Order: sequence, then structure tokens, then C-alpha cells
Amino acid sequence: MIQMFHVTKAYPGDPPVLVDINLDIDKGEFVFLTGPSGAGKSTLLKLMFLAERATRGQILLAGRNVARLRESGIPYLRRNIGVVFQDFKLLPTRTVAENVGFTLDVLGTPRDEVRDRSLKMLRRVGLEHKADVSPLKLSGGEQQRVSLCRALVNDPALLLADEPTGNLDPALTVEIMDLLTDVNARGTTIVVATHDATLIERYQRRTLRLEKGTMVADERGAKAARLMSQTA
Amino acid sequence: MSAPSKLAYFVRTAVGSIVRSPFVHVIAVASLTLALVGFGVARLARAQLDTLVDALGGAVELTVYLADGAEAEQVDALGAALTQRTGGTVTKVSPAEALGRLVTQLGEDGRGLTDLPDNPLPWSLELSLPRGAREPRALAELAEKTRALPFVTGVDYGQEALERLTLIARALEVASLVVFTLVFLTAVIVVSATLQLAIFARREEIEIQKLVGATDRFVRVPFLLEGALQGVVAAGLALLSVVALVRWLDGQGGELLAFARVRGGLVVDWARLAGELFGAGVALGLAGSFIAVRRFLRV
Repeated sequence: MIQMFHVTKAYPGDPPVLVDINLDIDKGEFVFLTGPSGAGKSTLLKLMFLAERATRGQILLAGRNVARLRESGIPYLRRNIGVVFQDFKLLPTRTVAENVGFTLDVLGTPRDEVRDRSLKMLRRVGLEHKADVSPLKLSGGEQQRVSLCRALVNDPALLLADEPTGNLDPALTVEIMDLLTDVNARGTTIVVATHDATLIERYQRRTLRLEKGTMVADERGAKAARLMSQTA
Repeated sequence: MSAPSKLAYFVRTAVGSIVRSPFVHVIAVASLTLALVGFGVARLARAQLDTLVDALGGAVELTVYLADGAEAEQVDALGAALTQRTGGTVTKVSPAEALGRLVTQLGEDGRGLTDLPDNPLPWSLELSLPRGAREPRALAELAEKTRALPFVTGVDYGQEALERLTLIARALEVASLVVFTLVFLTAVIVVSATLQLAIFARREEIEIQKLVGATDRFVRVPFLLEGALQGVVAAGLALLSVVALVRWLDGQGGELLAFARVRGGLVVDWARLAGELFGAGVALGLAGSFIAVRRFLRV
């Protein structure tokens, strides 16, 4: 699903944010991306949904070389990618349901269907009763769940989530992770950026660790959990 | 998505945006209206100038004085020759008619003229010239050639006044062109900056739309619709302002423009002005939105 070959990302005048990254994430995998703040996790995710372009190296998304992709082709690729942003990126001028349905509007889904699917998605995270309020009236955790709903509402092939449980209490964290596990079980590839060690230990999925822009570990299962307990 | 439902979505988005943040749209409409009022007034001034120059130009006449011995047939022949040469209109003035005019002009002082044993005034021809022949140089040339014709003793055409009028008309034309260009350029800059301000408030919405897979066209269309709608509203307001201005000038404010009055009220082709205002409003709204939204599409 995602392949990176010797990918480097640098901004003019600054040291590189990512250096010589190589990775291969298969279709249907569930991967944690971890590392300390400033390690390059968010930048790596941005490369995956083409909000940034690599300075050097090649990236293949679903077999397509993104370096050769025209600007006009990017929207069509993004329609298969759901993204949960660290800062949620919810529109305060729209209701919760409208925020969730935003992705479907862009895809040209009929209005009634947009509403139905948005409510269904909100029901899955326990927020159906907040469908018609402004996101400004929600807690941080609720906003995070709405952001997750927007990313999942169109059943994307790939879900990228930047700290999706960062503002949630332990019970809600489990609920959201169960939702992600369920989505993954239906075939969606999931990449979750987090520095929550307990999450990685509990779910024991493949874990990629970044430090100062370099990939320092790529472990699976129990080894990943051990890696986290050593470095946490 | 079918074309009608897509259009419905775009209209819904555009109207929803206006309803959600009316203040920025009021500012955009206000700046568009000011620009269009400037445009309308410039067009109005230009139309009045054309009418004024036309009317003053219409008064340009060449008066040809004939020798005492000229017979009526010879006067007719000369008149026909001048009409053919210039394309103008010739009016014959007999000695008796000329004397009558002079007596009227002089009033009390002219009473003695009627007691004269012989009328001392000759036949004359008044030649009203078409627009193309009113250039001072062409007129001087025509006067020179007319003087050389048989029975012609003198030609008068108010050379100095005509040269001055032509100079003033040209200066006014250049001034109106400069003013029009300045108003138009200011309008484009102000409108684009105002719309950019309005769109800046929605940059997050554009960013999210782009991140969830919207094409540039999909993002742009509602903004263009808003721009066009703002242009239509602004054009309507500008037209009302110009109507009010013209009514005022035709009424109590008319004294200010008394010097430019030619005949009756101001001459305005309302259908044309409305068409131009709505056309310019929509064009400005569309162009302003297009330019303004462009910089926020790079996500």
C-alpha cells in the first residue's frame, strides 16, 4: 500500500526533517508510528497524503509513484485516504454532522445519503446526539472522535491518524482503538502516529520508530511492545 | 454527481457562506458598489461630454457672402456646389431676410435701417457642416477654396472659437480617459483585496476541502458564484445610486452643471448603462474571486 525508498524531506535553510526513510506497508496492515516529539512522525504522514512532497527519494501509494503524479491527480488519490489531524481541523461554522459529511460532499454523494451516513458514523462513536451542534461546543475528546468520523465516513482504503487518542481518557481510548481495529479488520490499512507507549504495548502491532528524522526500529508484535518499554 | 445536484450543492454552499458570514460579504459588496458607482459616473460624464461637444459642434457654420450683382439662380448653383462638396446643409439668406435679422438684433438702434432707400446687404449662404468636416484645418481649407469661387466676396466661420472648442473637447476626452482608467484599476485592486480578505476567513475550509480530495474547480465554483452574486447586488445598488444622482442633478443640483446643459435634462441611455454596470459587476466579482481564491488552493 505504501512504499518509500530513500526518502528525505528538508526545508530550505533547516536540517532535514526526515533522512533516508525506507519502508513498506502492506495493504490491510495496522501500523503504529512512534518516536519523540519532533522526530518527524507528522511530516512522514504528510508525505503519505501528499500535503508535502519528498525532497529526495521515491514514494509509491497503492502502486502509484507520487513524484510522477500531476497536481490535478492529487485530489483523486486523496479520496482513498482518510486523515485524522492532530488539531482536528473541524469547521466551527458547520455542525458536527456537516463536518463529518464534508468528505462525502466532495465525493458528490447525494445530500440525504450524506446525512444518513454521517449520523451512522456518529452513532458508532456515541455522538449522534451532538449531530446538530457546533464543534466548538464539544470537548477535545469529542472533537477528536468527530475528526475520526470524517476520516472514516467514506470507507477509505488507507487511514492516517495523527495522535487519534491524544485527548481521550482510557475508556474512550479503548473505544476508539476498538473502532480502528474493526475498520482494519474490514480491510482498511491504518497508520497511527502516537507516543502513547501503553497503546503500543496493549495492541502489539507493527511499530515503526523514528528518532531525529531517521527510522531506528521496525518491529512487530511482542518485540514492538518490548521496544516501547525499553525506549519509553 | 449529476450536473443539477452539483449545481444545487454549489448554490447551497455559496448561499450558506453568505448567510454564515454576512459581514465580509457586505464589505465586498460595498467595495464593488463604490467601484461600480465610479464606473457609472465616469460613463455618465463621458456621455454628457459627447452630447455637449456634439451640440456645440452642430453650431459650427460657414457663412458665405456673395457679390451684390449675384442673381437668384447663381446663388442656387453656388449653394448646390457647396452642398455637393461638403455634404452639409445650405440655407439661403436673401438681402431682405438678412436686413430683417439685423434690425431685430440691433433693436431700437436698428430702426433707421428700414428707412434706407436700398438694401445694402448681399445674398449669403449659411452652410451647416457634417461632423467629419468640423476640424479647424479642414474648415480653413474649405473657406480658402470657397473664397476662390465666383461671386464670393467673403467667408466667415468663427475660426478662433472653433479652434478653442476643439482643444477643450480633446483635453476633456483625454481627462475622461485617464479618470476612467484610474477608476477601473482602483476598482480591480480594491475588489480583489476585499474578496481576498473575505476568502482568507475561509482558508481553513478550503484547506480541509483540498485535504479530503476536492479538486480546485470544486473548491473554486462556490466562490465564483458568490463573486458573481456580489457583483449583481453591487451593480443594482450602483445603478440606484446613479439614478439618484441624475435625479438630483436634474433637480436642485442642476445649477452646478448649468454650463454643461445643452437641452433639457441629462442625456442617459439607461438600458445601456444598466447592461454595462451589471456586466462590469459580474466580471469584477468573478475576476476578484478567481484571483483571491487562487492563492489558497495550494494545499
